[in-house]
Amino acid sequence: MQVARKPKVVVVTFGGGARDEETFAPDGQENIPHMLGELIPQGTFYTQVVNHGILGHYVATASLATGVYESLNNFASIAPAHPTVFEYYRRAHQRPAEDAWVIAPSNGFNRIGGSSDREFGPNFAAQVVLPKQLLAASLSGSSETDYLHLLRDNYETPLFAPTISSQGESLQRTAELLKLSLADFKAHAGTLTSPDELSVFIARRLMTEVAPSLLWLTLHDIDIAHSGAFSLYLDGIRRSDRLCAEIWRTIQSLPEYKDQTTMFIMPDFGRDGDTNPAGNGFQHHRTGDALSRTTWMLSLGPGVRQNAVVERPVDSLDLVPTLGKLMNFNPSAAAGRPLVEVL
Amino acid sequence: MRPVELTSASFAGYPPLAAALCRSKLEILQSLPMVLAPILLRDLSGYDWKFPAERDALQAQLLYLGAAPSTQRTSLLQGFAAFIPEPDLIGMDWVNNPSGFMEKLTAWLWSTHAMDRFRAQADAYGAALNAAVPEPMPKQPRLGIVVIGAGHAPPARPLFRKLRPHGVHFTRIKADEGMAIILAAGSRRAAAAGAGSGRGKGFRHWYVDGGPPVPSPALTTVSYADLEKPRALLLERIQRAIATGTMGPEELRSLLARMKPADIGLPDVGGEHDVLGHFAMSLLTEGAGTQIFATTFVQWAARECIRRAQPETLIVRYTPRQQAQSMNAMLTGETESGPDLAGSLVDADMGAYYTWLSLRRLSASADMRFLVWLEGQGQAIAIGPGLPGGTSSDSAMTIAKVLELIT
Repeated sequence: MQVARKPKVVVVTFGGGARDEETFAPDGQENIPHMLGELIPQGTFYTQVVNHGILGHYVATASLATGVYESLNNFASIAPAHPTVFEYYRRAHQRPAEDAWVIAPSNGFNRIGGSSDREFGPNFAAQVVLPKQLLAASLSGSSETDYLHLLRDNYETPLFAPTISSQGESLQRTAELLKLSLADFKAHAGTLTSPDELSVFIARRLMTEVAPSLLWLTLHDIDIAHSGAFSLYLDGIRRSDRLCAEIWRTIQSLPEYKDQTTMFIMPDFGRDGDTNPAGNGFQHHRTGDALSRTTWMLSLGPGVRQNAVVERPVDSLDLVPTLGKLMNFNPSAAAGRPLVEVL
Repeated sequence: MRPVELTSASFAGYPPLAAALCRSKLEILQSLPMVLAPILLRDLSGYDWKFPAERDALQAQLLYLGAAPSTQRTSLLQGFAAFIPEPDLIGMDWVNNPSGFMEKLTAWLWSTHAMDRFRAQADAYGAALNAAVPEPMPKQPRLGIVVIGAGHAPPARPLFRKLRPHGVHFTRIKADEGMAIILAAGSRRAAAAGAGSGRGKGFRHWYVDGGPPVPSPALTTVSYADLEKPRALLLERIQRAIATGTMGPEELRSLLARMKPADIGLPDVGGEHDVLGHFAMSLLTEGAGTQIFATTFVQWAARECIRRAQPETLIVRYTPRQQAQSMNAMLTGETESGPDLAGSLVDADMGAYYTWLSLRRLSASADMRFLVWLEGQGQAIAIGPGLPGGTSSDSAMTIAKVLELIT
């Protein structure tokens, strides 16, 4: 008798939205060849995902993870007020901590794994790994400059570039779980060109060594747009496009994941439109205009219709209830609605 | 404190012109809704360092608020009155720290999910104001010229994609002395405008450069290269503040908002240089990326110049920016990186489009003339009355001839 395998979910969000003009509009399509040629034909694509919340990356990602528009200070180290998808999942199925992971792009995301809700909280939180902390730990005490490009942090206020701190014990534990010595990690990091590549390297390692059922990865390179360099923003989009395809290929190459994993890809929100005088085009996401609030989502996996396009507007908050249906838990506090097209 | 409690003494900490203006319009300020008064005071408190166009706009706004029939005024302001900020905000010293109030107000609006409503109200207020007090027309058709591509190899991808539908694409431009011809044309326009032109008089004719500027006394000049020392001082100060370990992004923004031009070696001695010193400081402290990338600085400087000074002539020249490194490395400047030539050209191409969009927001935009010249590569795009959009010309042409065509 064949035992039914448990469904797995991988969520990839972009912390640093990409606009239609640089992605799906005719002039932008050259930047996303993997999305257009490889991924979209295999999945269901939502063309209008609207974020009605606060347009800051930490608070928006926290909202995506809770299914409630959180109102926490975007720049503070605060846990979301409502239960996260990780807590719902782990509590419903009594899963161990190693079964839900977040790979987060910067120090500011270190509280995203669990909420401050007393009924959930740390006991059911996801493990959060900050690849830059791992790298900082592996560089501890050295003055090497070859790795500085991988330690970019917090583009939202480009002038604020804190030193990446490392927390020895938990990092050591993470490194052990990944069967990765800090020296090996450092050696591999030396071959990478951006923080997001570092995050995807960790994601692959996690899938290979730990095989969590719920993996949430937030990419952040695109947010270099805040520095005002359009070409670097385009580079970030192209890199994210390539990395998403690599993640999907990794999923298909691992027996633990192949044919039982649903992947969701979505930017957390958009960026300001060119013609809004309150903004400065692609550089920021401060105006709250329609372009900065509207983005897209792609879902791929078993049971998801291929090459399908959904044009009705959906809400960013719909992700958590959809994951609830897929992974069989009840996201009691989440405000969104399950996306029927992918269930 | 609420606006109704404002008195003449409230403005004791303001510079002289700002204080005098606020005192003369005290009754109007006292009658403003709570959220609007600090917003207006943020502009008024910097009155002494505003460009003439900004001063005129502020005077016109106050005149309108004072003279409008009460029903019209009520309908204009009542939307703002619906926003009642929390007591902490009302209790702030918003008269002397209106920027701090704005920062906290913004956070409050986001956290209460009221930002969209507030923006709609602000847009309605701005539209009503513009209808009642239209922006003055320029004395001559506006001219914007953006020079890109200095030191670059031929572009890897087609340029001017966003501008081509609006103008003529010239593919055989002879480059001889192009920059000198452009600056001479700008200077002639400044001279022709008479009393309203030139540095310190009208601030209507500008030249923004990413590299060392070509001396052009008739044009108000701002350059990334000339601001090297203030940039270094600013970054040093930021690094020191971050190193204390007690400063987050929000505290850093507050620190920048409190800075004075003299803190980073800019003129702060009164008079016309003072106005430019404050402008340069605002470019470095309010712009994101302007401190580290020449291309970002030029784009932002052009945008702010257009928004604030409403120029009749604007000449903008991009130079290559440094390659991207980690933010820490760029802030400290410890590890020098070479120029990113290909990336800078892409940045400049987009920057030219943004400059055109910004100029189109000013009055008499239908009569505006605009040129982007790809320096050294023989290409340009010209936009203006009589130039058919989406066309191209392979006729051999000098820059002087193209300028003749558009002006």
